[in-house]
Amino acid sequence: MTRIKRGYIARRRRKKISLFASSFRGAHSRLTRTVTQQRIRALVSAHRDRDRKKRDFRRLWITRINAVIRGVGISYSYSRLIHNLYMKQLLLNRKILAQIAISNRNCLYMISNEIRK
Amino acid sequence: MIFPFPSPSPSLFLPLPLPPSFSDIWNNTWYPKAKDHINTEKTWYVVDATDKILGRLASTIAVHIHGKNLATYTPTIDMGAFVIVFYCMNKFSLLETCSYWYGSGFFLSNLTQYVNAEKVAASGKKRTQKLYRRHSGRPGGMKVETFNQLQQRIPERIIEHAIRGMLPKGRALFNHLKVYKGPDHPHNAQKSIELLIRDKRVQKQR
Repeated sequence: MTRIKRGYIARRRRKKISLFASSFRGAHSRLTRTVTQQRIRALVSAHRDRDRKKRDFRRLWITRINAVIRGVGISYSYSRLIHNLYMKQLLLNRKILAQIAISNRNCLYMISNEIRK
Repeated sequence: MIFPFPSPSPSLFLPLPLPPSFSDIWNNTWYPKAKDHINTEKTWYVVDATDKILGRLASTIAVHIHGKNLATYTPTIDMGAFVIVFYCMNKFSLLETCSYWYGSGFFLSNLTQYVNAEKVAASGKKRTQKLYRRHSGRPGGMKVETFNQLQQRIPERIIEHAIRGMLPKGRALFNHLKVYKGPDHPHNAQKSIELLIRDKRVQKQR
């Protein structure tokens, strides 16, 4: 058989991979085997966290709304607010409520008083 | 449901004045920037723990240290306040101390009286039955103390233990709690506010 050098084929493939991991820390952006592994882990995390992101943000909004709503009165809470929202068929979602809570707290108090009646 | 109108530009609908670091509020959830959680600008609260039920007090304090009462709460960032807890072990009546300092002509109609204060309280038989355990790491190294014994030895540890269990792990938040035996504390420069406790049952019933 004639002798065949592999040439630049492997190098081309690894260059693409290490471009992805070029901003990683230490050996994770320098050593080729480590780079391949870290790239796979990074992509797995991204895939899993795309679904987690939706959950995490909703959790954050709920906690923030809860924090502000408990300041209204001694027995008012996030759960009662949501119940009242559904009873009055108000379609505000938690993201908007949380942003209102931060930017304009009195507006949220007004909304909660209106739906409590 | 479909809303056919186009989304309004942020500049038309933002309520002014805005809290720090706000751009497009309807499409980006607010996240604190560095200037929103500078340690030197955080609130300091002060609480008097005498005659308060331990767990109920600790719960309110932990909420304030963690920052869970704030609209700007973020789990990854320390947005909470500092809390100073003080209580007096053996309180003389304020009447006695004042007349000692100012002479017997001192008029006390506006001062509250702290007579027979009981330090941090616990309901039921917890004073003799609640156990505080620690382990030295070696076999047979478990040490057990009752509430009463620990209160004689290191009274600050009771409150710290209660609150540490209510905070997330790690020393960062726990270091925002300062507990002192006696009515004085070295944090007068922080100009602390009185912490309002909304739980009505926190005061020990007599």
